[in-house]
Amino acid sequence: MQNTTERTGAIAGYYEGLAAGLFRAIVCKSCGSHTFPPTGCCEHCGSWDVEPVELSGDATLLFATHNISPACHPRFEKIAPYVYGHLRLKEGPIVQAIILGVDATPGDLQRLFERGPVPAKAETLQMDDLPVLAFRISN
Amino acid sequence: MRNKLREQVVISGVGCSRFGNLLETPEIKGMSIQELTASAVKEALDDAGLTGQDVDAVFAGNAMVHSSQVPGTYSQLSKWTGTQFKAGVHFEAQCSTTNVGAAMAAMAIAAGVYDTVLVYGLETTRTKVKGHSPYEREPISHQQTWLWTDMAVNQAYGVPQGYDIFSTYNGLVALGYCRKHGISIEDFDRGMFEVCRTRRLHGSMNPKANIQEKLEDRAARDGFGDPFGYWQSEEHNPFVAWPSRLLSLVTTADGASAMVITRADLAKGGRSRPVELKGFGVSYSDLPWYGEDPTFWEFDKRAIDAAFDMAGITAADIGYLHTHDCSHISGICTAETIGYLEAGKGLDAAREGRLRFDGDRPMSTHGGRHAFGHAWGASAGTDTYEAVLQMRGQAGPRQIPKVPDISVIHTHGYAMIGTVIVLGSL
Repeated sequence: MQNTTERTGAIAGYYEGLAAGLFRAIVCKSCGSHTFPPTGCCEHCGSWDVEPVELSGDATLLFATHNISPACHPRFEKIAPYVYGHLRLKEGPIVQAIILGVDATPGDLQRLFERGPVPAKAETLQMDDLPVLAFRISN
Repeated sequence: MRNKLREQVVISGVGCSRFGNLLETPEIKGMSIQELTASAVKEALDDAGLTGQDVDAVFAGNAMVHSSQVPGTYSQLSKWTGTQFKAGVHFEAQCSTTNVGAAMAAMAIAAGVYDTVLVYGLETTRTKVKGHSPYEREPISHQQTWLWTDMAVNQAYGVPQGYDIFSTYNGLVALGYCRKHGISIEDFDRGMFEVCRTRRLHGSMNPKANIQEKLEDRAARDGFGDPFGYWQSEEHNPFVAWPSRLLSLVTTADGASAMVITRADLAKGGRSRPVELKGFGVSYSDLPWYGEDPTFWEFDKRAIDAAFDMAGITAADIGYLHTHDCSHISGICTAETIGYLEAGKGLDAAREGRLRFDGDRPMSTHGGRHAFGHAWGASAGTDTYEAVLQMRGQAGPRQIPKVPDISVIHTHGYAMIGTVIVLGSL
């Protein structure tokens, strides 16, 4: 008899994880590196022998700028301009995401730039139709 | 990977339309996309002394089919270009399209399959088909342009979670550049002004450019005696991704380009002087395009190394360089990665006038993506068009005084396919 169990794909699983406050990735059994957000294949060595893993959400914010307003995507019209950052996760991957805890003004961004890299913590930002990844920095 | 062409391959003809707006720009106003493309193809075929029936295959490039609405481009354009019954394919590598097409043509010729290939690219990023009309067009909104364009960017996780081109391609790269090289934000801003001023100067000398007005003249038109005051004006040149400003960016355009690629021995005695396609390199990457250092892009380095290896050149051989400059700071970083500009000194070079057509490091003499404009799948061909003109000594008032023997053209196909081609004089 055909198995009709519905399968949750990697993309849906990632966003469902975000909705629950989880940051889902995969780790490679061959080289040990993380791929985040998750696919079905290691982005570093090309191995298919991977398994799901949850990341800590701990990160270092390296640089932060802002997006354009009106936003390129209608999902973000309500919050544009927003701060967008370049981060290194504790587990290794480089990520770019919306940054919370700083205003999208030249003055605030320059002060942040002059501070250098700062700690950041992942959280879920709930947009109208989708939970998205964000990172919060402390003042 | 052997990374060699088994046969000498040349570009024997080039063509390029005026870049602008099909609804407004006088030279192309009222043209259909078919006529726009045919004008570039005709120029390239005439340049090579051929007709469409003389080529063996046609590689037809178009990236944003949402606005052009001519998929199956090879056949839909065949009667407009005289290329019925040829072998053909519609392909895209986004903003690298036409130069990836040149590389594919070189491979097909060097493999002994075809003798002569026509490559063309067409794109409309300012206008789109109006309703279901076969000839009427209407403007595309800013948001629609980027929604369609960003379909080439990570649609699983990048775009859905707040990616936009302005922050990732401009602001973050700018901040990485400043921190890495100890450059103040104020000096960065002045340097970017000089890059824009240079590109606008080049555009002012190019009758096919999207913008043909010098930055100084534009500033004066708005009452600014000091063009740097205009540059720093929030009204005229706002931050789009601090510290990057609007005038450090691409301008959108409708346009088309074409080139004829053939065996070197077949081009001898032709109508125009052929230029050798000595080498190419292609490497792609999904987001993020860079690691901790936003100024170094691994896929670009791989494309550069492959192209230089195939062509047998080093950076010291380059007489003319174009790097993809949708983002001016990204283009400067790429020129430094190539070794054409000293690391961390690219903005100094701009301030010293070294990047001008008459400087010792000439770059993007057609005006680049900002002044010449950007019609995604057609633009790489315009970069090659300019390089061929420069190498033939046919670039008119913007001619590089020391005619280049080696030209390097780098493009970023969104998002991202780094593509480098090396041209050499025969």
